[in-house]
Amino acid sequence: MTEAEGPVVRTNLVNGHTVRAYDRELTRLRGLIIEMGERVVEQTQGAVAALLGEDLSNAYRVLDREPQIDYLALDADEEVFRVIARRQPTAVDLRVVLALARIAGEAERAADKAARIARGTLDFRADDTALPPSIGDGLRAQGERVCCAVQRSIAAVAQFDSELALVIFENEPGLIEASHTVHLALCSPAQTPLPPAKIGALFNIAHALEHIGRHAGAIAEQVIYVAEGQDVRFRNREILIEALRHRPG
Amino acid sequence: MSTLASEIVRDTSAITAADLARGGRVSGTIGDITTPDPRMVCRGVNVWYGAKQAIKEVGLDIGKNQVVAMIGPSGCGKSTFLRCLNRMNDTIDGCRVQGSIQLDGQEIYDKRVDPVPLRAQVGMVFQKPNPFPKSIYENVAYGPRIHGLTNSKAELDALVETSLRKAGLWNEVKDRLDQPGTGLSGGQQQRLCIARTIAVSPEVILMDEPCSALDPIATAIIEELIDELREQYAIAIVTHSMQQAARVSQRTAYFHLGDLVEVGETNQIFTNPRHQLTEDYITGRFG
Repeated sequence: MTEAEGPVVRTNLVNGHTVRAYDRELTRLRGLIIEMGERVVEQTQGAVAALLGEDLSNAYRVLDREPQIDYLALDADEEVFRVIARRQPTAVDLRVVLALARIAGEAERAADKAARIARGTLDFRADDTALPPSIGDGLRAQGERVCCAVQRSIAAVAQFDSELALVIFENEPGLIEASHTVHLALCSPAQTPLPPAKIGALFNIAHALEHIGRHAGAIAEQVIYVAEGQDVRFRNREILIEALRHRPG
Repeated sequence: MSTLASEIVRDTSAITAADLARGGRVSGTIGDITTPDPRMVCRGVNVWYGAKQAIKEVGLDIGKNQVVAMIGPSGCGKSTFLRCLNRMNDTIDGCRVQGSIQLDGQEIYDKRVDPVPLRAQVGMVFQKPNPFPKSIYENVAYGPRIHGLTNSKAELDALVETSLRKAGLWNEVKDRLDQPGTGLSGGQQQRLCIARTIAVSPEVILMDEPCSALDPIATAIIEELIDELREQYAIAIVTHSMQQAARVSQRTAYFHLGDLVEVGETNQIFTNPRHQLTEDYITGRFG
């Protein structure tokens, strides 16, 4: 996502407090979370590029950058504590703070998965093993879908946009399908003329990508929580989409 | 966001065309104004100070064994409403109260109702502790004595002790009951006033910002006391502290410009209010 297309912060959920410092604290917290999300996308794209391309330096770069996301998560935690201690948030502010704390956790774990993909790539490519084209195509498609989901989830956080969160839910079957396609290919000896250890490494990579996609869904749940005041974790997605799309008023 | 948009309720089902014409103000209260076991039932209460209307068509139940907190910006009518509940507004020149306020089914504004015993049944604790310039004992004994609630000195002594115990003050003052009540600390004076209120066996206790003049420790003691008193009395409290309302009450009522905008379980009001005005107020966006 380019800077020009970047998330636009909707002002009414974070801004407008009589105490303007409160606005600044919430904006800073949300900025940290958005930065974490954007880095997750970069890390995932870098790890997948390392797997699919010739240049392994992408994988090393992903591993080098992983601690930066951990530090951002620590900063976000500190900001959350500070806001709670100073402001005792209520209502939508309380939901914003709780949701951002949870989203920081989701983003941090998603970044761990990106690093796992990078490590798996280094293992797979250690002896210059070539990635079979059909598997490569499948992982590329899965990676693109996953990165798109994470990008959308971060854009949804930037605006606390429940409509965008619903789009993420609606696209989840596509993520599962992409993951399933890779799994099927890895289970087909004709398409995967690789030793079992290499197939195992690719399975782990596909699993990690699938998990990153799930984190995007979990982030979208938090967006709904803030915008709608409903905790939708563990709710059936189809019923939830139906309920939110066709609510009265 | 325009002023109009910011005032429009989120629960659009409650908006009428007339509300929108008035700038998004609601004609009715959002939330359930009733409670299963009400001690006081208020309906259609309007109050005027001269030509100025301070409260508009307010309806609310005050439930047994329940604390209802009334919150809202200054001038919203919450204290005015509280003072209607024991006819304290009768003492204000030019104040006119209309509507129905019942205590256990009895209309308190009925001409046959004497406001003096009513104010014993519906006691009040004020913002600033106001002990009489008498001894600690006399502060508590005064009410029961003038209402003829005891028959002997021993009975009165027992009632004073019980009241001071319920107010959580007995252990601190039992050895100096003859000393002036005004010599106590602010928090102790406020608890003395609560003991004085309890001594006349009220059914409802009204508290108008009872902790606003107290330090955090004294405030915590009063809040703990309110929670204990809830087991025996119905309590209505006006407070400017959102945290206090959230801590001590089971129901919260939000007032704005004389309207009762929203009533609900305190947990719901402070986590997921239905009206935009309530949310803006409790999150510190105005007020």
